[in-house]
Amino acid sequence: MINRLSCTVLALLALAGCASDPAPTEQMRLTEQAVAQARAVGANEQVAELKMAEDKLQQAQAAMADEAFKEARMLAEQAELDARVAEARVLTQKSQDQLAELNKRIDRLRKQLGDLQ
Amino acid sequence: MNARVQVIGGAMLALLLSGCAGSQQSSGAALEAARMSFQAVKENPDVLRSAPKDVIRAGESLARADRLSSYWGSAEDVGHYAYLSRRYGEIAEQHTALGLNQERAARLELEHQRLQLALREAKLLSVQEQSNWLEEQMVSLATTETERGLVMTLGDVLFDAGRADLKASANRTVLKLVQFLQLNPRRVVRIEGYSDSSGDKQENLELSRARAQTVADVLVDLGIDAKRIEVQGHGESFPVAENASARGRAQNRRVEIVFSDEQGHLGAGR
Repeated sequence: MINRLSCTVLALLALAGCASDPAPTEQMRLTEQAVAQARAVGANEQVAELKMAEDKLQQAQAAMADEAFKEARMLAEQAELDARVAEARVLTQKSQDQLAELNKRIDRLRKQLGDLQ
Repeated sequence: MNARVQVIGGAMLALLLSGCAGSQQSSGAALEAARMSFQAVKENPDVLRSAPKDVIRAGESLARADRLSSYWGSAEDVGHYAYLSRRYGEIAEQHTALGLNQERAARLELEHQRLQLALREAKLLSVQEQSNWLEEQMVSLATTETERGLVMTLGDVLFDAGRADLKASANRTVLKLVQFLQLNPRRVVRIEGYSDSSGDKQENLELSRARAQTVADVLVDLGIDAKRIEVQGHGESFPVAENASARGRAQNRRVEIVFSDEQGHLGAGR
């Protein structure tokens, strides 16, 4: 009898451990913000990380609807960082392009100066 | 009965545990990968300087994954935090690259401004030199605006008597001529030699041509394209003064440089 009880309690505890997560509404908001921010700096489907972020955000929203809160939180957390990586990549690429443009302009100036002398 | 329930309960528990533990191995690999990438990020001084917060978060996530990995049934969480740790590391790296690029861009921007200024000054200088030069020609080198165009005269004193060689005193004039032609790359010149009427006519013609050629050669030596230079000898023809006096003869012994207009059109030769 005691054995049976303890078994049930253990099983219940194990189940409860998986199900006790609250709804990650704040995290969902953060993730949506991060995705929007990545879009705002010019990330598009070409950036693999943004695609991942948007896919995961969608899955997280579906999980929220199913009240699978733990799954939703994990997906949303990953999606947030995916989006932030996407944003950072786009910004770095832009700065790279800016450097190339500056170098080009400097070369042109040097050449003109050389021609004058 | 009691035993059966017990067995069923035990089986359920085992199933639960194994369900969570099935991916234990793959989460171990993810943890290891996260550990290695964090190590790389942590050891990069640039990253620590530019994105310390993201490095700290990468470390915290990794520690969390590490702690969880010692519990049963935590494979999913371990994988999750390992993933977050690697992402934080990537963000830190990207921010670092961005920061370095921005520093570089700032330096290049300064260099760009410096060069622009230098170019503007060089252009200004060349314009000033050009106008100074033209002024000087008007005054001292007897450049005259004739029906043949702008004409500059190199006097007899710049040549050795009776010979075609230029004296060192002609250098200044020649250099300015070169400079003018470099600043006005479309202009071309015709160099015309003249002599006085004393002595053999044919010899005079040859000497006048040789002197004109000498000037042309110096210009070419100093980097003026030979295609821009035309050479003519006129001998005793077209005197500018009477040949009766020594002074008049000296004035007639001369080399004239006729400039084209800015489009490179020369007036007709004599």
